Formats: sequence, structure tokens, C-alpha cells
Amino acid sequence: MSLFWIPLLPLLGTLVPLLSERFGRSACALFTAILPAIALAIVLNLSLEVLQGNTLLQSFSWIPAMGLDLSFRLDGLALLFCILILGIGLLVILYARYYLSQQDSMSRFYAYLILFMTAMVGIVTSNNMIQLWLFWELTSISSFLLISFWNHKSDARKGARMALTVTGAGGLALLAGLLLIAQIVGSYDLDVVLASGDTLREHAAYPIALVLVLLGAFTKSAQFPFHFWLPHAMAAPTPVSAYLHSATMVKAGIFLMARFYPVLSGTELWFLIVSLTGLATLLLGAYIALFKHDLKGLLAYSTVSHLGLITLLLGMDTQLAAVAAVFHIINHATFKASLFMAAGIIDHESGSRDMRKLNGLWKYMPYTATLAMVAAASMAGVPLLNGFLSKEMFFAETLHQVALGSLSWMVPVLATLGGVFSVAYSTRFIHDVFFNGEPIDLPKTPHEPPRYMRIPVEVLVALCLLVGIFPGFIVGDLLASASSAVLAGNLPEYSLSIWHGFNLPLVMSLIAMLGGLVIYYNRRHLFQFQAQFPETDAKLVFERLIQSLVAGATEAHKVFENGSLQRYMVLLLLFALVLTAGPLMDLNTTAGLRPHLPIDAVEITAAVLLCLSALATMIWHRKRMIALLTLSVVGLIVSIAFARFSAPDLALTQLSVEVVTVILLMLALFFLPQKTPKESSPRRVVRDLGIAAIIGGIIGTINYALMTRPLTSISDFFLANSKTGGGGTNVVNVILVDFRGFDTLGEITVLGIAALGIFKLIARMRLFMPAGDENGRPWARDRHPVMLAVISQSLLPLALLVSVYIFLRGHNLPGGGFIAGLVTSVALVQQYVAHGVDWIKERLKIDYQWLIASGVLIAALTGLGSWVFERPFLTSWFDYFHLPWIGEFELASAMIFDLGVYLTVVGATLLILANLGKLTTSHRPTQPESE
Amino acid sequence: MNFWVELLITILLLIGGIFVLVGSIGLIRLPDFYTRLHAPTKATTVGMGGILIASMVMMTNNQGYLSLHELLITLFLLITAPITAHMLAKTALHHENRALRRTRSQHLMECAREQQPPKPADHD
Repeated sequence: MSLFWIPLLPLLGTLVPLLSERFGRSACALFTAILPAIALAIVLNLSLEVLQGNTLLQSFSWIPAMGLDLSFRLDGLALLFCILILGIGLLVILYARYYLSQQDSMSRFYAYLILFMTAMVGIVTSNNMIQLWLFWELTSISSFLLISFWNHKSDARKGARMALTVTGAGGLALLAGLLLIAQIVGSYDLDVVLASGDTLREHAAYPIALVLVLLGAFTKSAQFPFHFWLPHAMAAPTPVSAYLHSATMVKAGIFLMARFYPVLSGTELWFLIVSLTGLATLLLGAYIALFKHDLKGLLAYSTVSHLGLITLLLGMDTQLAAVAAVFHIINHATFKASLFMAAGIIDHESGSRDMRKLNGLWKYMPYTATLAMVAAASMAGVPLLNGFLSKEMFFAETLHQVALGSLSWMVPVLATLGGVFSVAYSTRFIHDVFFNGEPIDLPKTPHEPPRYMRIPVEVLVALCLLVGIFPGFIVGDLLASASSAVLAGNLPEYSLSIWHGFNLPLVMSLIAMLGGLVIYYNRRHLFQFQAQFPETDAKLVFERLIQSLVAGATEAHKVFENGSLQRYMVLLLLFALVLTAGPLMDLNTTAGLRPHLPIDAVEITAAVLLCLSALATMIWHRKRMIALLTLSVVGLIVSIAFARFSAPDLALTQLSVEVVTVILLMLALFFLPQKTPKESSPRRVVRDLGIAAIIGGIIGTINYALMTRPLTSISDFFLANSKTGGGGTNVVNVILVDFRGFDTLGEITVLGIAALGIFKLIARMRLFMPAGDENGRPWARDRHPVMLAVISQSLLPLALLVSVYIFLRGHNLPGGGFIAGLVTSVALVQQYVAHGVDWIKERLKIDYQWLIASGVLIAALTGLGSWVFERPFLTSWFDYFHLPWIGEFELASAMIFDLGVYLTVVGATLLILANLGKLTTSHRPTQPESE
Repeated sequence: MNFWVELLITILLLIGGIFVLVGSIGLIRLPDFYTRLHAPTKATTVGMGGILIASMVMMTNNQGYLSLHELLITLFLLITAPITAHMLAKTALHHENRALRRTRSQHLMECAREQQPPKPADHD
């Protein structure tokens, strides 16, 4: 069970800051740290077993039919990352407590941060590829929220958008890659995938899968040419940069490459793509970092460069290189996180990050300066610090390169060049900020930060030193375990000592040191040279690209959606024509084998009336009142037809819906222009007539063909089981509230949402209200005639009685909650019509939104109620009782469900009609909405 | 079914049918809106009443207990039909539909439209 808790605890922890904010900032930080700390304790507890070489696995069935499990694994690699994520995460929580100002919402920040932590832990512990991808996307989203934390700043929003777009697009490529791998291997399970490297590498689709997965990794880890988003993500608060952009998120791509190293690496293609990308990123990042005046900008490009270094190591053809990569992951996380935190302290206490202004801070904050200098020295690769060790391993490995053939000698040379620049920007970081004269008009006088803000930096710098001096003792086991996970158990011989004797890598280190110092000393010439290039802001380029993309999409969209209803209808109908015409032509005979039912005079009359009124609606569609009347004739005949062909429930529903619809249309027509212009040209009329005729013919054919063929459906099952299974003889109602109760629950929820949506749309709507009809005659002054008002009022109890009757008998005879709801609505709407909104407002104090909500709630609770009796959701119960005077009657849980349906229908109908009607009264909004 | 019951039902149906027919013919044939307003009221009251009572007799005879649904329907019809006619008449007045020349007391239409009591001098 414990593995499952590692991601679950941080997930629960997302809520903690939101709940504990009221107890003050320190308490909030403390409470927030508790759950990740427990998770870390679990990880450390399990680490003993993992370090012995075991892989812990745990999985739960999720969607077994699709091969999806909730599955977690903890091997050496996952262990290393878990410790990094949770450990540095805890330090960042402490650091952020002092970094965030009073105006920043601490709980929101922590909630995002812990969400991100969950996502990262989820990635590294996932044992199922889909699950891994899910967490992968969650890191993109949570990092978007974190980068845009100061969402009042434009560059924060733009930077966040850019990061999300780039990493999100990479995530989609990754998904495609993972699905492809699953297709090839036949499982989403990481165990199976990791064990079938040969199958994968020999498959024809291997290059595609590789490129897709690498796209995901490179975008996430800011590899060239996707590196541009990382510097712009520096608009985030510094704790975020320290956490996401040095230690964790950008390492997710590296993790992915390391995770799939046993199955994807080992081919020419892998080495070529990965090592060249890594090399390019290493050089580019190191070079640009030197010229950044912004403290965080320098660190961002140096991160890009170091990520390139790790990628290059992963792309090399030796097993030792993979060990070096894992080692550098640890080292980079420690020194870079502490450097970011130091930069944050400097920014926080001096008000600037510009290295042209920040000078000579040694005098003001000697303690912080010492810490930052040690970390920067580690970044440069100075001996006795951890950065030196992994860099030595890196240099040593570059010498063994053969992948580039006769050009392989360039790799160590270029690696040394990267080292030279790395030393140069590290020197710049130290010298420009802490020495180099006096500060130049800083907003604040710099001073040391609060005591506890320094602790995270101290811890990390101490780690840099400890690892640098006692490497085998501190990280030896962890490194061995993680590396053997990357290499699938084939751990090579290596030694972690500081002194390997006087050899070529040491010479390369010395060259890098000296070269870096020389370059820094002559930096003015380089800066002048660099100043000749026009500066391109990746943000602007990116935004321009996105905007032109959006403009293009809008153009394409406009072609289809130009606001003309006629066009939509034509497109829809033509599409339907294309879809149906083919299959219908394949049908040999229209008529099936089923004999016709006899036709009598009543049916013929009704059919003729139906056709005539439909035609009349079409002919007089520009005279709206007449069209509405003929349309309601159509509705009436349809409901009579339902009654005739033994569907009394449908007939009742159709009838009441018809009434509501006509009222609704009358209200809508009131606001529309009184005169309908002639919009279609004769040519278009002919075209539309043609399309309509063909579609009508097709629908008629389909209906005829269907009705003349025997149809086996499940109606027989419903008829047989309605009484015994659902306790009602009205099959329609039993289907609604019992057999397909879940459908109905969904439907009333949709109905409620639709009503709320309409309410929201019309709540503040200001419509033109015509003062008279189309002939210019003003409206009658007698808005609420006395006779109508009196009779409507006296009809109300009768109508309500009818609706109660229809509701109660619904289970056994035609009726039910839906029809009863409509009848009640009609009765109440009648009161609105007869008395006006004011009159109703005083007497009927029901909030229709609440009515809808309680209806859905009652129905849902009825469903949940069956859990109390340990039955599946929405199991119904019924029994028969006997009371004196009343006789035998039935009680069913379905009736409570039906009550929910009833309330929702009443609420939804009235919410729409009453509010639309309100627009015609003095309650309509008259003031324009304030901007 | 008993012959006399059948006879009763038949007579009631015939009465109802004739009145509905007469009402429908009247709706087409009568010369102006106000007179036409009279026709459907015959159909809805006596016409529908006859048919509904016929249904009541038949259902009572068939089921063995008194069927009262139809009475309720009649009740609704009797309450609503006059109001419908009233509203129609009000609308016609508002639209200033012309009445036949030989209609008596036409001057009252103006008062009704304006919702004013008739002037005493106008009595003829």
C-alpha cells in the first residue's frame, strides 16, 4: 500500500494550504510541508530495500478492459528522483514562506506547488505509460499555473503560455510515441516494455516512436531548438524557478530518456539525435548565458546548457556515460537550486536582478555571498565540489566517443569549449555580483535575508561540499542503484574518488578553468562583438506565430460558420444526404415483408391535415403568428397520432410540450422584428426546395423501409419485466425511472444545466421592445384583463390537482413526473400571463434555480440510497401496503426519483419562461452594464 | 350492450355531433368576426358536452362504476371557453374589426375598447 501513498499524499496535500491559510503564513507553510514530508519518509523507509537492488511494484486495476492499471514502481531511478523532488520541494516550501510578499496569495502558490510535486512524483513512480503521460501533462498544467502566478504581469502570462504550448505540444508527441510503443510491445505496462527492448529496436516503426518520445523529452527539458521557452519561464517567482526550472520539471525530459534508455538506446539513430542535440544545447546555452545581464537569465541559460550536457551523456555510446548522466542530475539539481535561491535572495533584498547594477554585494551580505560563491564554483566545476566530479566523468567519456567516426575528436574539444564558457559565466556571476565596485542605484539597500530563508541554501550548498569531498559515502549507493536502473542492471566498474591521477580529463578541466578566466577578463571585446547582432525576443516571435495561427484558424472557421442559419442547414443536410444516399441505393427494395396495417378515414384525414398544416407553416413562414398557429396544428395532430397508436404517455407529453413551446415562441417572436424581410433570392429558393425535397424523400424512404420490416427490439423484455422488476404497469414510466433511470438522471441534469445557461444568457439581456404590432397599432393597455386573471387563479388549484393525479398514477397508468411537471409549469405560466410578474413575485416565493438543484439532488440521492442497502446505484424498491379507507396501494423508491424529475422539469421550464417573460416588464434591465 | 343504453349513447353522440357541425359551419359562413364568435361556443358547450356525456355513459356501463373524468373535462371546457371568447372579442375590439352594419348598439364598441362605462345619453 505504501507505494500508492507516495503520490497520493502530495495530492491530498494540495488542499492543505487552502484549508490552513487562515492560521497565518508560517502555520500554512508548516502544515503544507507535513504531507510531503511524510511521503519523503515513506520513500526513505523503502529506500533500504531498493538500494539492495529490488524494484518495488504495486498496481490496482483501473480500466482492465483497456489494459489500464494504476500502477506504481520504485526502482533506483525513481528513488533518486523522488528524493530530489520531495527533498528540494520541502526546502522550496520553506524558502517560499519568506520569499512571497504579503500581497501574494500564499495558499494558492502552495496549492499549485504541491500539485506540481504530485505530478512529478507521479511521473517518476508510474509503471504504466498512460498514467505516466497523464502526470506528464499535469506537470505542464501546474507549471503553467506557477509561471503565471503573478498573472498581473504581461511577461509572466506570455512566458507561461509559451511554456505550456511548447511542453504541451511535446506532450502530445510523447503520447503518440507511447501509444506506438504500446502497439509494438502489446502492453502499457512499463515492466513489459522495459523487458522487450530488442523487439522494439528491430520493429519498423522504431524510428517514429523514438523521434516522438524524444520530441516530448526535448521540449520538456528545453533542448535545442525548443530551449527558448525556459528563459521566458523565469518570469515566475524565484522559488518556482529554483524548483521547476533547475531541479525537477526540466529534468522530467531527462528522466524520460533515462527511463526508456534500456529499450530505446543502443541504436545509431538514438546516439546521433541525442548526442548532437545535447552538444548543440550545451554550447548554445553556455555561450548565451555569458551575455545575460539578468541574474536569472544567466542561470536559465546555464540550466539549458547543463541539461544539454546530461542529454549528451545519455546520447553517448558507453555505459559509464549513463552513470555520469545520473550523477550530474544529482549535482546539477543541488547547485542550481541553491544558485536560484541565492539569486532570489539577492533580488528580494536589493530589489534588482540586473548585473550591471548589482556590484560589490560582498560587503552587504557576506554570508549569502559565500554560499552563492560555493554553488557557482560547483557549477564551474572547481575541485572538491560535486560539479567537478561529474564534469570530470563527462570529459573522460567524451574521449571515448566513436559515434561520429573520424569526426569524433571534435566532441572532447567542443565539450571543453562548453566548459570554458561555463567557467566564464560562473566567474561573471561571482565577480559581477559580489565584487566589481559599488552597487549602482539599487531600489533598496541590500542586507542579509531572514535567518530561515537561508536554510534551504545552506542545506544544498552543504550537500555540494559533502558530495564533492566524500562522493562514495554520500551518494555512492544511490548513484549505483539509479544507474543500474537506467542500464537495466549492467552496472560498469567506476570509481568515485576525487583524484584519478594526472590524466587527460584533468587537463581538459584545467584548460576550461584557465580559458574561462581569460574569456571573462576579456569580456568587453566579446560583449562588443555580441552587441552587433540584433536581439530577437523569442516571446515576440512566438506570439506573432501564435497570432497568425489563430488568425488563419479564424479565417478557415469563418468559411463554415458565417452566422447564416440557412448555410448551416444546407451544410448539415447535404452532409446527411452524402451519408445516407449511398446505403439507400444499395437497398434493393423499399418495402419490406411486414404487411400493412389497415388504414381508416380518421387516419387519412389526420394525415392530410398534418401535411396541409406543415405546408401552410412553410408558405406563411414570414407571417409569424399564422405560421405559429399552423405549427401548433402540426403538434396537435402528432399528439393525436401518438394517442391513436397506443402511446398515451407520448401524447400527453407532446401536448404539454406543445403548449409550453407555443408560449415560448410567442415570447421570442415578440422581441424579433415584426416584419420578416424576404431574404432568399428565387434561385436560392429553388435550390433549397430541391434539397428539402430530396431529404424529405430520403427520410420518408428510411421510415417506410424500417416500418415495413420486422424489428426485434428489447421492448418485449421491458414489457415482461415491468411489473415484476419495476413494480409498475406503465412500461414507459418504469423505463424512465427504473430500467434506464441513469439515463434520466443524466437527462434532467442536462435539462437543469441548459435552463441555467439560458437564464444566464437572458439575465442581463437588453432587447428592443416594440411599442406596437407590425401595423403600427399600439399594444392594448389592458395588460391583465380581470376576467382572465380571476378564472386563471381559480383554475390553478384544479390544474395542480390534475398534475398531482398524473404524477401519482404515473407508475401504473399514463403519466409520471415529467408530464406532471409540464402540467404544473403550464398552470403557473398561465398565472404569469394573467397576472404579470409583479403579482406572482409577491405570492410565489420560489427560487427556480433551487428547484432545479433540489430536483437533481433528490434524484441523485435516491440513486445513492440503494448503496445503503448494498445494492448498485439506482436500484429501485417497491412494495404494496394496505390502509383502511384507502385500500391497497404501492410505494416505490422510483416515486422519489420521479419527484426529482418533476421538480427539475418545473424549475427548468419556469426559469426559462418566467425570465424571458420578465424582459417584457418593468423588471427588464434598463441600465447598460458597467464595463 | 343493452339496447337502451346504446340508444342513449347514440342520441347523445348525434346531438353532440350536430352541434359541433353547426358550430363549424357557422365559423365559415357567418359574415363578421363578432357573429362568427358565437359559432364555436355552441360547439364547445353543447357539442362537446353531448359527446362527453355519451363517453361517460358508455364508460360507466362498460366498467361498472361511475366514470367522472368526463365531467371534469366538461368543467374545464365550461370555465375556459367563455374566457377564450372574451379574450378574442377584446382583441377584435382592439383591432377595430368592423361589425355588420345592422349590429345593434355599435356605439358601445368604442366604450368597450376604451374600457369606459357607457355614457347615459347614448341609450336608445
